[in-house]
Amino acid sequence: MTKLSVTDPRSPRRRQFLRTAAGSAAGLAGILALRQAPAYAQSRELTFLTIASFVPDTDKELKRQLEEWGAKNNVKVRLDIIAHLQLQTKKAAEVQARSGHDLTALGPGLGDADLYFDHLADLKDLADEVAPKNGGWLSPNDYLVRGKWTLLPWWQPPFPMAIRTDLLEQIGEKNPDTWEDWLRIGKKGKAIGHPFGTALGHSADANTTMLSILWSYGGSYVAKDGETVTINSPETREAMEFVKRLYTEAMDPEVLAWDDASNNRCLNAGKCIAIHNPISAFESAKKDKILVPGTQKPIAEVIDHIITPRGPKDRKATTGFWCVGIWNFSKNIELAKDFLRFHFQPENQAKWVEAGHGFNMPFLNNLTNHAVYKSDPQYRHIPEVAKVTVPPSWPGPTTAASQQIWDLYIIPDMFAQYATGRMPLDQAIAWGEKEMRAIYNSKRRT
Amino acid sequence: MSRTRTARWVRQVRPLFTVYLPVLAYVLFALFPLYFMLVTSLKSNAELYDVNAVPFWISRGLTAEHYGLLSTDTPFWSWFANSLIVSVASTVVSVVLSVLAAYPLARLRFAGSASFGIAIFVTYLVPPSLLFLPLTNVVNWLGLSDTLWALIIVYPTFLVPFCTWLLLGYFRTVPKEIEECAMLDGCSRLQSMLFILLPAAVPGVICAALFAFTLSWNEFLYSLVFVSPAELKTMTVGVFSELIRGDIYYWGSLMAGATIGSLPIVVAYVFFLDYYVSGLTSGAIK
Repeated sequence: MTKLSVTDPRSPRRRQFLRTAAGSAAGLAGILALRQAPAYAQSRELTFLTIASFVPDTDKELKRQLEEWGAKNNVKVRLDIIAHLQLQTKKAAEVQARSGHDLTALGPGLGDADLYFDHLADLKDLADEVAPKNGGWLSPNDYLVRGKWTLLPWWQPPFPMAIRTDLLEQIGEKNPDTWEDWLRIGKKGKAIGHPFGTALGHSADANTTMLSILWSYGGSYVAKDGETVTINSPETREAMEFVKRLYTEAMDPEVLAWDDASNNRCLNAGKCIAIHNPISAFESAKKDKILVPGTQKPIAEVIDHIITPRGPKDRKATTGFWCVGIWNFSKNIELAKDFLRFHFQPENQAKWVEAGHGFNMPFLNNLTNHAVYKSDPQYRHIPEVAKVTVPPSWPGPTTAASQQIWDLYIIPDMFAQYATGRMPLDQAIAWGEKEMRAIYNSKRRT
Repeated sequence: MSRTRTARWVRQVRPLFTVYLPVLAYVLFALFPLYFMLVTSLKSNAELYDVNAVPFWISRGLTAEHYGLLSTDTPFWSWFANSLIVSVASTVVSVVLSVLAAYPLARLRFAGSASFGIAIFVTYLVPPSLLFLPLTNVVNWLGLSDTLWALIIVYPTFLVPFCTWLLLGYFRTVPKEIEECAMLDGCSRLQSMLFILLPAAVPGVICAALFAFTLSWNEFLYSLVFVSPAELKTMTVGVFSELIRGDIYYWGSLMAGATIGSLPIVVAYVFFLDYYVSGLTSGAIK
């Protein structure tokens, strides 16, 4: 074995190696201690977390816009997409670590504005800038939470009634408009094996439809002050009596176990005569070329959308209010705002709505009249639906408590308790009232 | 003669009723989800939506469109590779650590060794839904967010306690006298563990590795929270993210993803079934 002496020509190399190794180790230790790349390796990067859009082309267009903006501004960009059911977990983790994406989708509902009030950047300047270019926000007062713009309302899927025109003709009905009309149609439909379908379990669709019915009969669950629980009223009783009849006479019991996909499946499978749902069922029927059972006729050709029904007192609907915000722990707040400025330019919004076939309607007046809603006769009522759409907490403001009532499905549970006969009417309402009071009391700020 | 013939016939037929038919019923029950996944993944969307179609077989022809969609419209094979990398790496790390933890607990007597064993198992019982929030801070502090390393580091937090507990039981079934003989012949404690105990405990180690691999392969929550970029997602999260779009479920492709996703587990269990059974049942009787 050769022993190296101090005069060995390889010695300097060894010392050099040791010096380099020591330097590298010190540098690496510094990087690890700071948990930051060295200055020469740093580049600007903007990250955006959003949900998988119901119409996939929407995500492609958003990505295209993000990349276009990134290329113009020499910023590396990344769009991360997750299923909407996973968003709550991801947001909670990012807030806990105060680290994560710069931009994030928020929702469904405006409740995140209150829930994450201390973690979201103020977007008032942006909201003021975006509105005039797009004909103004639809209902700006609804989007202010605790008097601040902590998020920008981004898109909503308007909730019309999706109907089978051929079955309607078969039972001799036309131009249904009120919830009572739909009860009658549901009864006739059920008699020929085509019931009406709306979820009555733990799903966003159940929340949406039960709230629509409650408001249509003049009821509400919270007053304008956002604190007084108003569910125990004659109007609620009337609405609940109606839902009981709808459930027992016009629907199948399976609606109690439906998730958000079930009503789409019921319509596209040719079973349901009508469902209360956005245009996603129609869009997937077109995409998957689904046929009317026993025929060669595409079912999309006999699906139409009409305005959400009217009740004895009102015509109101709600839907998922999807929003976008910037975490205040982001290192790129100004970059994120700049991208939103770019994305909310009228031409970019127009392209984005077109990519989503109108499923993603912005909360901006000009966009509710986008050409896409005139491109297909089945979309003709969609802008009208948007006009009667209010946040789920209506007439109260959105708060963490209203979001919790939505998230815990108190409204559909209350309706289902009575509709299925598990509780008498007064007991079901008393149960709902107790749950709501407990939530509002626990969230009351002193 | 006829009595002998009857007795022989009974001997031949009896297993059919006492073994094969009961086992067949269980096998059909156990295999049904796999069968249903496969059948659904090969049906056209039109048939999937048809409420009058029989869901248990394919009546309108096979289609590979759902597998095609996975391959062309999603980075499915990247997710598959990520799952494989993370599962193999975290399994190796966890099994090595678990062997090192289980050996002293099984063989050495020191103060608190019994409570250590219980404490290790109790940590396994803390649900990930509670742990993911504090672990987010840890992963972030380490600078490992949005890398596969985050998962390789985090998965052992639930794999090591489980594998240690499993190996602890197995190591105790190996007579310590054979190790003592080896040590009399000059083996060190480490050599005794490596060259005497481990070869005798191969079924237990394989069983622990199989469990660790399965748990890593199926893990969802940590993968969702710690890794966001599409190309770095594991299969469980990737399939769920891309194929459930609001109220539209891509059932065919979801089932295609589930079918492909179940293959590595099926293959692993087929190859190591004997070790797995003997690893699980050792110590059950003495």
